[in-house]
Amino acid sequence: MKLSRREAFVALGGATLLAGCNPVSGQMRKLEQTSLPAPTKADDEAVAVLNRFGFGPSPRDLEAVRKKGVDDWFESQLSPSDDEPAMLGYQLQRLDINSFGPWDLRDWKEEAIVEQLQQAAVLRAVYSPWQVRERLCDFWTNHFNIYARKGLAAYRKPMDEREVVRKNVLGKFPEMVRASAHSAAMLVYLDQQNSNANQANENYARELMELHTLGVHGGYTQEDVMEVARCFTGWSEERGFLQRKGAFVFLSDRHDNGEKTVLGHKIPAGGGVEDGEKVIQIVTEHPATSKYIASKMCRYFLGEEGSAHEDAVAEIYRETGGDIKAMMRSIFGAFKSSKNTVLKRPFDYVVSAMRATDAASTAGKGVLDHMASMGQALYLWPMPDGYPVDTTSWTGSMLARWNFALALTSGEIGGTSVNLKKLTANLDGSKAAQAVFVCDSSHPAIRRLSEIVAGFELPEQVALCLASPEFQWK
Amino acid sequence: MKRDWCSCDGSGRAGTVTSRRALLAGAATAGVWWLGTRSALAQATIRKGGSDGNVLVVVFLRGGADGLNMVAPYGEDDYYRHRPSLGLKSPSSGVAAGKKLIDLDGFFGLNPGLAAFEGLYKEGSLAVIHAVGSGDVTHSHFEAMNTMERGWKNQQDTAGGGWLARHLNMTEGSGSPLRGVSIAPVLPDSLLGAVEAQAMVNVSEFRLNTQDEAMKAALGRLYANPGDDIARAGHDTLAVLKSLNGVDPRTYQSDGGANYPQTPVGEALSQVAFLIKRDIGLEVACIDAGGWDTHVTQGSTDGWMYGLLEDLSRSVAALMTDLGSLAQKTTVLIQTEFGRRVAENSGLGTDHGTGGCMFVLGAGVNGGKVYADWPGLVPDQLAGPGDLQTTTDYRAVLTDLLLRRLGNPDPRKVFPGYSGGGLGVVG
Repeated sequence: MKLSRREAFVALGGATLLAGCNPVSGQMRKLEQTSLPAPTKADDEAVAVLNRFGFGPSPRDLEAVRKKGVDDWFESQLSPSDDEPAMLGYQLQRLDINSFGPWDLRDWKEEAIVEQLQQAAVLRAVYSPWQVRERLCDFWTNHFNIYARKGLAAYRKPMDEREVVRKNVLGKFPEMVRASAHSAAMLVYLDQQNSNANQANENYARELMELHTLGVHGGYTQEDVMEVARCFTGWSEERGFLQRKGAFVFLSDRHDNGEKTVLGHKIPAGGGVEDGEKVIQIVTEHPATSKYIASKMCRYFLGEEGSAHEDAVAEIYRETGGDIKAMMRSIFGAFKSSKNTVLKRPFDYVVSAMRATDAASTAGKGVLDHMASMGQALYLWPMPDGYPVDTTSWTGSMLARWNFALALTSGEIGGTSVNLKKLTANLDGSKAAQAVFVCDSSHPAIRRLSEIVAGFELPEQVALCLASPEFQWK
Repeated sequence: MKRDWCSCDGSGRAGTVTSRRALLAGAATAGVWWLGTRSALAQATIRKGGSDGNVLVVVFLRGGADGLNMVAPYGEDDYYRHRPSLGLKSPSSGVAAGKKLIDLDGFFGLNPGLAAFEGLYKEGSLAVIHAVGSGDVTHSHFEAMNTMERGWKNQQDTAGGGWLARHLNMTEGSGSPLRGVSIAPVLPDSLLGAVEAQAMVNVSEFRLNTQDEAMKAALGRLYANPGDDIARAGHDTLAVLKSLNGVDPRTYQSDGGANYPQTPVGEALSQVAFLIKRDIGLEVACIDAGGWDTHVTQGSTDGWMYGLLEDLSRSVAALMTDLGSLAQKTTVLIQTEFGRRVAENSGLGTDHGTGGCMFVLGAGVNGGKVYADWPGLVPDQLAGPGDLQTTTDYRAVLTDLLLRRLGNPDPRKVFPGYSGGGLGVVG
């Protein structure tokens, strides 16, 4: 395996190779924990950007943003490479779902697939330097939500994650819709694979318009749902064919070949597979889609303030044909003058706590169980709308968040360790609060927290900071 | 999912609650042990009424349960014309019991998967409400669920918070921070805005993993000022922990030989039974049953939906057995966001429809009856793309429950804009 530039850099920097490493390749298998340089006021912007566009500051990524400045860092994030730190590359390589297709997974237990999917998502979010990409993977995975326990969707979801989400995460939105429409996982999840001309199944047709593109108020009717369902009849997946299993197939004998009308557009008879392709074009070019996608992205990245900016982003969608990078640049610009906060969902909370404490973790069951008890077991939201983003949906997760903070800092999570003494070695005074919030100690909130946690041992202090109301926001 | 709301809508949670709570923090209370934690809302506003020890358990069937195959109108020929494969055989057909409908009233029959409800219906403590629903015509799960849980006619309505939240916030009730409980990771929309409600995945796991009293005190200080939704959630969570202190659900054993299925629905209902028996001031419990979006191969007297029905009816029947004499205080509502299309589809399933079916059972129910202003299944009697018409507003049933079981003095305040009154399902 070739060593990426970043890996070479880390190795040359004198990284300690930990027990269990492969002496031949010299790869690091475990995170080398570091000490956080004392934060200053000058770090505030970098921290805010990492919180909102990544999964919170880790000592390494903070260093990267400091070096480049927030603007250059953000721009570089929009063109990520596949290079990952050696430790992450090693751990991802051990997860077979990252390369396996439905045929390779045929003898697997569903739980094992789901666990690896979750593990890969957490590992990438915690350790990848390509934080904006991972943040967007969370957004789009939820946008095109697939419940892994529906039918055999779990066996198809790893391929969907690679070919639909990760491949298009910073590309053009219409391409992602197109990829999703051809994804066996989505076809299975929304009952498309058996739909036929006698009576078309409306499930995928409806959610394509309601949730993936136009939005529920996007101006389509029940008639449109039924017509779109007719257009997609015959869109299915290969079943028995070894390596082709789970690939897209168009079954022309199941297709309704009559004429259709979708959102006022005539689709002539005899179009075959092109009917569905035409629908994707119609819905992704529809002005309602530009508004719906802009509004959803703005809400996700800017919170309540997002609504003020969504028209501008919708305009960019229309000008660029749904270019996600261009929309992200605009959202980033708006973010720099925004003031409000956005709640961390459990996934954000867990990952940001691990990054703040520089935890070395395999992100295995120990971590995943905590996330599940907070109510966000990844890939297991049953409904097609994805995990909610609003604050009130998550008010029941407080206790589970506190218990995670306690377990993380006291070393009770299997395969996960922190070295808080080392992390805070460069800090003076209110070490825990400074480290958790990456904020200099003059900040009023830090002063309040420091006063409350004073008198506890360092791990308890860090636990309380992670459990505090302030740390629930990004 | 649309979960917006306005802070000035009087629903309680957003807006002025904080200052009221802050104003009255520490007000002296005595008597029932949980009153030490009762909310400032209870103390600050003049609230009347409450459930007086009665409990409503709401089971929401997520995904749009097929009312026509839960309680089938076998007396109508068009039922079989629309459903050549999925139609359930009439009670008088020659096939074995368990493979055909259980007769209810000579026109409607109960799916054999709901056999555990047969006894309740015959003894008069279970009522079916059919062709019931909201005014939602979008066929969207999310719009339809949201509409029903908010207690709305459709998405043009604006009453803030959920219908159960509005009820809890306008009544005094037990004053417990656990007046409303959802056995789920998050509160359902029906409880959104309720100050005295809490979501918990599992009651046994609802404990802080430290014995250190100083740590608990420090958490209390961190969350002393409920200034926003999260700070308030933390504050409330600490109050609930205090309420559950000394209560150990891990030792729970059901009574009366009640046999809960080992399923999410069975386990959630056994936790509800535990909370009811522990007398922690519970008035409303919400649980979800998922998997009802049967677009393909939904089955008839076996298969997917049959399994869901068996699980549902056995779990609910186990709850009522387990509760023993407390069943006299407990009423169960089973609802879903919409019914399904009258005609089966090519995948031997059914698509989203409109009119559906509800069940109310337990204490106070005028049961042994199917309440239906039956609209018929002849093609020109169908609504929209071929749906069962909605002829009964679901809020009529909720009005009965609020008025007769939960002690709400004025359900019109819970459903502003609804003037239809109750249906008499509950006496």
